[in-house]
Amino acid sequence: MTAAIRTRELSKDYLVGFWRPRPYRALDRLSIDVAPGDVFGFLGPNGAGKTTTLKLLMQLVFPTSGEAEILGRPLGDVSIRRRIGYLPENPYFYDHLTAEELLDYYGRLFGQSAADRRQRVGKTLDRLGIGAERRLPLRKFSKGMLQRVGLAQALLNDPEVVFLDEPMSGLDPLGRRDVRALILELRDQGRTIFFSSHILSDAEALCTRVAIVAKGRLAASGTLTDLKEFAIQGWELVMAGVPPEALERVRARARRVVTIGGDRYAIDLPPDGRPEELLRELTAAGATPVSLNPVRETLEDVFVRRVAEMGEGARS
Amino acid sequence: MSAIGPVAAAVFRESVRDKVFYNLVLFGVLLVGASIVIGQLTAGQDVKIIKDLGLAATSLFGLFIAIFIGINLVSKEVERRSVYPLLAKPITRPQFIAGKYAGLLLTLLVNLAVMTVALYTVLYFLARGIPAPIQGAWDAPALDPALLKAVAMIFLELSVVTAVALFFSTYSSPMLSAIFTLGVYVVGQFNAELKRFDAIVDSPAAIAVAKACYYVLPDFSRFDVKLAVVHGVPVPGAFMAASAAYAAAYVAALLFGAMVIFARRDFK
Amino acid sequence: MRGPAAAAALCLAAAVALHAAIDRWPAPAVDTPGLLYVRSPEAARRAALSYRGIAADVYWIRALQHFGSERLAGPGHVKDYSLLYPLLDLATTLDPYFSIAYRFGSIFLGEPYPGGPGRPDLAIALLKKGLAAQPAKWQYMQDLGFVYYWHLHDYHAAAEAFQRASEMPGAPNWMRPLAAVTLAEGGHRNASRALWTELAKSEEPWLRDSAVLRLAQLDAMDTMEAWKRAKDQGLNLPIPNDPSGTPFVLNPATGGIIVSPQSKLYPLPGQLEPPR
Repeated sequence: MTAAIRTRELSKDYLVGFWRPRPYRALDRLSIDVAPGDVFGFLGPNGAGKTTTLKLLMQLVFPTSGEAEILGRPLGDVSIRRRIGYLPENPYFYDHLTAEELLDYYGRLFGQSAADRRQRVGKTLDRLGIGAERRLPLRKFSKGMLQRVGLAQALLNDPEVVFLDEPMSGLDPLGRRDVRALILELRDQGRTIFFSSHILSDAEALCTRVAIVAKGRLAASGTLTDLKEFAIQGWELVMAGVPPEALERVRARARRVVTIGGDRYAIDLPPDGRPEELLRELTAAGATPVSLNPVRETLEDVFVRRVAEMGEGARS
Repeated sequence: MSAIGPVAAAVFRESVRDKVFYNLVLFGVLLVGASIVIGQLTAGQDVKIIKDLGLAATSLFGLFIAIFIGINLVSKEVERRSVYPLLAKPITRPQFIAGKYAGLLLTLLVNLAVMTVALYTVLYFLARGIPAPIQGAWDAPALDPALLKAVAMIFLELSVVTAVALFFSTYSSPMLSAIFTLGVYVVGQFNAELKRFDAIVDSPAAIAVAKACYYVLPDFSRFDVKLAVVHGVPVPGAFMAASAAYAAAYVAALLFGAMVIFARRDFK
Repeated sequence: MRGPAAAAALCLAAAVALHAAIDRWPAPAVDTPGLLYVRSPEAARRAALSYRGIAADVYWIRALQHFGSERLAGPGHVKDYSLLYPLLDLATTLDPYFSIAYRFGSIFLGEPYPGGPGRPDLAIALLKKGLAAQPAKWQYMQDLGFVYYWHLHDYHAAAEAFQRASEMPGAPNWMRPLAAVTLAEGGHRNASRALWTELAKSEEPWLRDSAVLRLAQLDAMDTMEAWKRAKDQGLNLPIPNDPSGTPFVLNPATGGIIVSPQSKLYPLPGQLEPPR
């Protein structure tokens, strides 16, 4: 099966400095594969090369070496752009066009007929929650609204592969929930989604596979289950109304006890801490259980660990 | 090919809704209207000064529009990164350049049309108040169709200026592009003087350089037929055709140059 | 905000009052030649880029203002027309087809002081420049003839100019007879009268007015001579009014009558010299 997106040793040097320009390696031999139908999270700290990768794929900048394919076609192929959608980071469009006019314009570039455009534009704006504002000039749009317009133009042509650069940027919690639902909907429709982000909770919730880049190089890639160590690292037991003498006994067995507002305590136990026993003891002593959860490695833990490894390793 | 039309339409819409455009056109029209008052100072030369002022204002404001809105075409679009989602669509970079240029030409055409209508309107009202025998002695009639020839030449001149502006804005910041374009315009006006450099300077090397510059740089003074038109001196069709060909050759050279520069540009 | 708004209005009022007060002070008595903006016509032509037509108009308006204000200035002012030729030269260098500038210059540059600068040589230079730009313009050749006739009294040159004018396309058919009359009777009042009568039909209002004035002056001179002849023969006629309605005055030197200094026809041709 052809990969939806494939890069091989993709590299980009920028020349830095005015009098004696020296190459600055923004991206170093990136090789990733994205399968059709994947929701692929492209993660990394700021300046890691995420946006550079997206720009290389969109042919906004040209690679110094290496190659890449989208849907089996090499990067220079203009026809592939009918089948993809792209949302840039912090999108800006035009001051005086309305949202409707903008989408109509892009629709014409896709070669859509007038009737087709009218229908698609209306439908896409509806789906992104842009109502009567669609007739306002874009300079009057807030950041969140512009983000929605950006998503709308990325989806206008029913793309097979969607590229999103920081899709949650500028959105309030309601907006983020909407976009998350949208991404899942796109996944259910069988589209491939490639998005870059530094918000790991989103990636954890949405992605089937991720890649972590730092300082221009690939630090890790694979499914979430591949990357995260699944072993239980501890238990978190939350109890309310623990009598003081029982609390002393708890402190001896726990790694840490944290007071959470009022009379609730979050008790951090080691993996072999036998939480069920403690639960029964404290309940017998008069406390009320609130929750018991196993603690496993999060994506954030993986992220921090792998990025730190990149930093310590010598840069060749 | 089909991408050029939508780009041109979008550029046109953006430009004509821009406050800068509105203000320039309004100011130009007001100036033409004011020429009726200024005409009172000229001891019976009203018709001449109205035509002179009208054509000069059309040329000057058209120049401002060509430079300021022309620079916006590419420079601002790159600066604000609205070029990112655009180039991710099925459009090649050369089509982008061609579409931008076509859109701005359309904007210029609208501006020139508005100024021309204003000029003819003022001339109409002037002519109504002046008896026929006096009008018969004028160098050229008030509602002279030859004025359109002058406007057409202004359009040709501005189409070259716009192409220059577009060319510079493919790789320079808006400020630098504006300065370079204005510089080329001024030098182009003096171009004819370069031919006669040998009368002023002795060094053969300097004269050779001047002659080379004369042929290569655009000669904007050849688009100026205002004096002839205002005084009723005929402007031959062959001259207009040759000027149009000259302008077209220049525009093509600049657009292709812009396409070449733009094609391999990284958008950081 | 009430405070700053009131302050702004107050300051503006103060500025206006100050402007009005400064205006009343006597201005420095220098007629700044900087009003020419640019000294050399060639430099002006280059600097104007493609806006030469309108630059020429500006200089034309300046020339009219300069000439008019000098001519109409009160008795305390020493008339100085020195800017007239440079301004007209600038206007015509910028716009070589500017026919009214050439013709205005031809009439008024030669005008003797205090009506004008009294420089017929400059008038001729200007007209020759106009003919260089438009060699077939009969009006310029006619004006050249006029300058030779009226200001330089060179009737041979005037006749030749009228003759050449009559051969140019579009020339009116009174040109040839005018040439003939000039040749035959140049300097005689009838020939002059013929010339001014034709000029009185011109489409330019200021040219018409000038011609009408000249004709009135010629009539005045006729009347003066007739009165003197009558007196010499012993007839003592009452002193009449001149064609403009003002009475003549006695001239003690000749015993004849002469146009009064209060008359609109004063001075008659040849009565005053410009200051050197």
